[in-house]
Formats: sequence, structure tokens, C-alpha cells
Amino acid sequence: MSDFRELVKSFPKTREYVRDFFVYGFKSRNEFREKSPRTYDNERRRLESWLGPYVQKTHTSDGTNIFLAIDSNLLDTNPLFQVWKTKSFTDNDLVLHFLILDLLKDGRALTAKEITDLLLAEYGNLSDLQTVRRKCTVYAREGLLERKRKGKTVVFSLDCSLALWLKANEDILDALAFYQMSEVFGIVGNHLTEQLDYQNRTFRVKHSFCVHTLEDEILLGILDAMNQKRQIQMAVKSTKKGHTVTAVCVPLQILISTRSGRRYLCGYVEQKKRFSCFRLDSIRRVLPLEPFAGYDLLTEKLVQNHEKLWGVSFQGKSGHHLDKLSMTIQAIEPGEHYIVERLKREGRGGTVTKIAQNIYQYETEVFDCNEMLPWIRTFTGRILKLKCTDSYVEQRFYRDLEAMYKLYHMM
Amino acid sequence: MELFSEIYSCYYQVLRHILCRQDAMTIQDIRSQICKEGFGESMLSIIPRLKDGTWNLLDRNGELFLSRLSPSFLTPLSSLEKSYLKALLSDPRIGLFLEKEQLDTLDKMLADVKPLWRQEQFYYYDRFSDGDPYRECLQRETDPASGGGIHTDISHDNYERFRHNFRILLQAQKKQQYVDLDYTSPAGTRVHHYYVPARIEYSVKNDRFRLLALKNAGNGSLRLEILNVARIQNVSLTDRYLSCEADLNTLIRSSYYKEPVKLRIVNERNALERAMLHFANYEKDTKRTGANTYECCIYYNQSMETELLIEVMSFGPVLRVLGNERFLNALRSRLKRQRELLLTDSPLCENMM
Repeated sequence: MSDFRELVKSFPKTREYVRDFFVYGFKSRNEFREKSPRTYDNERRRLESWLGPYVQKTHTSDGTNIFLAIDSNLLDTNPLFQVWKTKSFTDNDLVLHFLILDLLKDGRALTAKEITDLLLAEYGNLSDLQTVRRKCTVYAREGLLERKRKGKTVVFSLDCSLALWLKANEDILDALAFYQMSEVFGIVGNHLTEQLDYQNRTFRVKHSFCVHTLEDEILLGILDAMNQKRQIQMAVKSTKKGHTVTAVCVPLQILISTRSGRRYLCGYVEQKKRFSCFRLDSIRRVLPLEPFAGYDLLTEKLVQNHEKLWGVSFQGKSGHHLDKLSMTIQAIEPGEHYIVERLKREGRGGTVTKIAQNIYQYETEVFDCNEMLPWIRTFTGRILKLKCTDSYVEQRFYRDLEAMYKLYHMM
Repeated sequence: MELFSEIYSCYYQVLRHILCRQDAMTIQDIRSQICKEGFGESMLSIIPRLKDGTWNLLDRNGELFLSRLSPSFLTPLSSLEKSYLKALLSDPRIGLFLEKEQLDTLDKMLADVKPLWRQEQFYYYDRFSDGDPYRECLQRETDPASGGGIHTDISHDNYERFRHNFRILLQAQKKQQYVDLDYTSPAGTRVHHYYVPARIEYSVKNDRFRLLALKNAGNGSLRLEILNVARIQNVSLTDRYLSCEADLNTLIRSSYYKEPVKLRIVNERNALERAMLHFANYEKDTKRTGANTYECCIYYNQSMETELLIEVMSFGPVLRVLGNERFLNALRSRLKRQRELLLTDSPLCENMM
């Protein structure tokens, strides 16, 4: 393992491994078949190095498995953020980063030539002009430096007023501590709090999925295209079959399930003339294409469809445009009134009607009632009747119940 | 805007802290800093480069190292970070943290910045609809009883009370200060106690804030209680402070049942992948037991029990609970009741069961 490096050049391969270790946690070395055993060994060693306190081992007949044991109830930060801090760099990158930012901190605007000369005079650093200019240009593009034309020359300067304001303002630091755990792109909030030397010791977040951070680079590309109202081309890897296909769509909205942990890109596929959803964790690459003329109209249509969209499916198996579902529930009041409250707050716009003493009826009409089954099953023990215009849904519900009775020897 | 960039690298952070030190450092001081903040093997890369001058950022004087940078070194914000901040300004929860003047100042500083995302670009389709009243409601409702002349604003009052309580809890949490708290429980009973806020917890699913609160349980020990912030009627700071830091995670861990829930997963309908992601938030361990079957142990406590039970039920027959007895009995009892309900000839009659 003489070629082992703790830092890595690109993120996608790392993303796959961390996800497999984190989400599954039972795969042995032999089961990571897509890469060579040596790659597996290096990835595993990196993971142990980055996420040491969370890495656990189990010994099985197939050998030692490692997995990430992360209990979100105990976390003040997302441990997987570490993975974003592993980008490799050259010696020059690091040295110039500190010296250029230190040199410009007093706000003066300097040309690349002046910066190069001052690096030598003030820090004894001998760099060539091209390298310094390139670094300054990259930093201007990333927003760290300001780049301005002054006559025929280009000058670079640095403005730390925002960083200083944030550092002096505990309220915003608290907000950043909160959002890094509870909102999308938490990794950026985490970078900020670290940069401002602040740590979250106040907030915990429940029902947030650590693993989502691994999709943030893909999400960034999608949002960029959405903001520019562009179509995108994606490489999508099937989570079931493992093969990768190319798909083109107009990206419109990110749909998130707070229960299952799945996140989807909802887009319009022009070729099929319909909305379609793609799991974010299955998208491998995003390429922006041309702007799409009717973007706003599509977004409006999608929002209108929310009312009939239970999850992410725009069409059920019945062939109907919409299917109706009604569920009759028993809730012995007053002790079980919380069941009625659950129907109201979790029922996504469905109506709840009291039809008799202790009996309530929940009714809704959605594109695909099949998606409702997991939620319906959470009322097991209260359901008096389930009716659906998609007969498959009804049959599956009762068939699964029978299977459950058998499973627990209740037949 | 690069998300995976060396400017956010762990090594840069470690180096920044070393280089911002004003005093001379020994190699041991530098090692300690790397140990504290770096990755497991960072030492092997950083120390030789600092020592041999490849990273010529320290002046060496015998055994001591002195930074060449000014101690006031500060990394400016990147476009990505500014864009992130701008997006947060549109989040309704930001009002819980910042005053209007602070929001205006920040908004002005970010005037030329485009937000990284907009609220409407995300849709949480299964989030509960009765979240906390953290959205400032500026629209005033007309009270019909008053003949339209006087305006009442219940939503605004709720928001103000919620925000006030949230701010007090935040302040107390950071100072480990006891608060005097008046609370209405879900059962409707009024409770009045002294607590130390240990953490403020937000549930993405429920869209609610909860307080993880410590209460004196006698014998000098502390007990952890969970309170809905929206149910707090009144809260005020006291002049008492917690004398020692409480180990919250030990309290939480000790509340877990000794026996985890043991699930048998048959990998049908993509159940394995679904279950692994669904339960990713719990401490769990999983092993393969057959060609298509797996066993997964999930650790939990009493406060998570009902939620875990209904989550397990949502999977239907592809998950089988093998233990513990307590969990298994709870599941069986729901199934038994379900079976009885469906066997009843006339289910819509009153007083069934």
C-alpha cells in the first residue's frame, strides 16, 4: 500500500463506498465486486482515517466487515461531512492559499505581479507569476478574492467584512449551527461554522438523514440548471439492477420524503411528455443542456399536481388518471383521539369525517394509491375497511395482512 | 462554485489554526493540534512538510516554530458560502435567530448574491401539516365578533410567544442555566418545573422543535425529559446554573433497552435497501443470514418505541420482528386487534371490542 493517500482527487468513487458502508454496513470485502480488492483496501483505510470514531467492525465467517455506526440521536454534527474535507491539493496550492490571503487581508488591491513580488519580499516565497495569477483568478472565481480592472491591469483584493460581521454575531452563528443539521447543503453551513471557529453544542435534529450529504454535489448541479431554467442530461444508475442509463429532463423540483429518507428530482421528460422522478442517490452525473422555453409553465403545472401526488408517482397501475381511496378507522375516544389527529396531519389533504361513534372515514383521491400502502399499514389495529378504485391496492393490503397473520402465527 | 474543493479541506483548517497562533510552538504542540482536528493519518503528511519547509509557512528557531502569518488571518467567504447564507434568509425559521435589523444588515451585505436555492424548489411531501408556529404571520384577521372594528391576531401572538420562549431556551442552554417552565402536556395537564435545557431538537418530519431538558431527579442525579417547545406556556430564566456539565449522550444511551429490536428482512420488493435507508438514523447492525435474508438489530428507547413500531408495520410482511418480546407483543397485539376488527360482521356498530 505504498501508494496510499489519505486525501482524494474526486468525489464520486468515495461517495459510492461511504454510502455502501453507511447504509448497508454488512458487506464484506468480497461483496464489493465492482472494484479491485486493493481499491477496497485503500477505500476502507481512508474511511477509517476520516471517520475513525464511527467505524465499527464485526467478524463473520466471510472475514471482517466494517460499518459506520451512526446514531443520529447522539450527534451534534453530521459525521459524513468529513468526507467533503478530503480533497487533495499540491504543496503550492496550500502555501499560496495562506500567503496570498494573508498578504491581501488589509484590503489593498494588487496586481498579480505585485503579489508575486511581495510574496518574495515579505514571506521569502519564490513563485512564478503565472502560478500566482492562476491562483488569484481561481480564487476570484470562487469568490474569495475580488477581481477588478484598473486601467489596463487587473487587480485582486480581499474583503473580510462579511466574515468579520458573522464572527462577531452569535445569533447568526447559532442559526448556522442549526441549519447545518436541519437543512439542505448542511455541509456549507458546517464549512462556515468551522471557518468562524464555532461549534454546534445546542441543536439536535431528528428525522434527518446523514447520508443525504453525499448527494450534495449532484444536487448543486441540478439546482444550478434549475436556476438557469435549463434541461439536463443525467447518468442514472439503477438501484435494483445496477446498470447505468442516460436520461434527459427539465429539472423542476426536489421531492423529499422525511420518512423513507428518499429524495427525488422531479423533472419533465419531453420525449414522453410527462413528469418523472429520479432518485437523487441514483444520479451519477449531471450535464446542463439548453434553456427550456416553457420552464415556468411546467413548474406551475407540477405545483398544481401536488394535491394529487401522494409520493412521487404520477400514474398508478389501474390505468385511471386518478384513484379514490377510503379508509374507515376505529378510534375509541377520547383516549384514541390522537389517531384522528394523525389522519388529519399526515393525510396530505384527504378529508376526515366522523361517520359514527368512534368511527372515522378518511378519503382521498390521488394519482397512485399504491404509494399509500406503507402509510395505511401504520394504522394496523384500527382499520375497519379499506376501499380503493384501484383493486390491486385493496387486494395487496388484505393479502399482506394475511401474510402478517401467518408470519406471527395468528392463523 | 465547487463543493468538493481543497479550500474546505480538513488540512487547511488544521493549518489555519496552527498558523493563527501567536506564540512559538514545539513540534508536540503542532502534533496535538493535528491530532485534535485532523484525520487519523494526517500527521504522516503534515509534520514532514512543515519540518522540511515544503510548506514554508513557519519560521524555525531551534526546537520552536513561529507562524509567518498574522494572527488576525481570516478566510473570506466563498461564493458558495455567500449563496448559502442568502438562501437561509428566505427560510421562515431564520426569524427565530435574528432580529429584523440583523436580517436587513445581512440582506444588504448579500445584495448582489443569488441564493443557492429557493424554498419552492424543495417539496417535503410527507411532512406533517401541523408544524410549529415559527412563521411570522403579518396578516391580521378580522374578528367577526367585534363587528370588524377591532383586529385580533392569534397567529401573530402564537408566533411571538413561540419566538420569545425559543430565545429564552437558547440563552439558557448555552449557559446551562435553569429555567422556570410552565408546560401543558399532550394530555392537557399543566406542569410547572425547573429544567436545564440540554439541547433544542428539531424534527424534520414533524416540523417541530422539542426541548431535551434535564431535571433534578433527587440524589444529585439528572433525568432527561422531552418537551414540545410549542406547548410551553411560559418560560423564564432563573439565577441558578448547572454546576457540572451533564453527559447528555450517556443519559440517552442509558435509556436504550438492553435488547434491541431484531428484524428479519426478506429482500423482496427492494425491502433491504428501503429498510437500510429508512432505519439509517438508528444505531443498528445488520448481517446476512441467507441468500436473500438479513438480520438487523435496532437500538431504541421508550420514547422512540411507538414510532419505530409503526415504521416497522409500514413495511408489511417483508420485515419480520424476531424480538425483543416487548416489541413483538406490541406488534402482535395490533395485528390481533386488526384481525378482530375485520372479522366483526358489522364493523360500523358502536362500542365494538
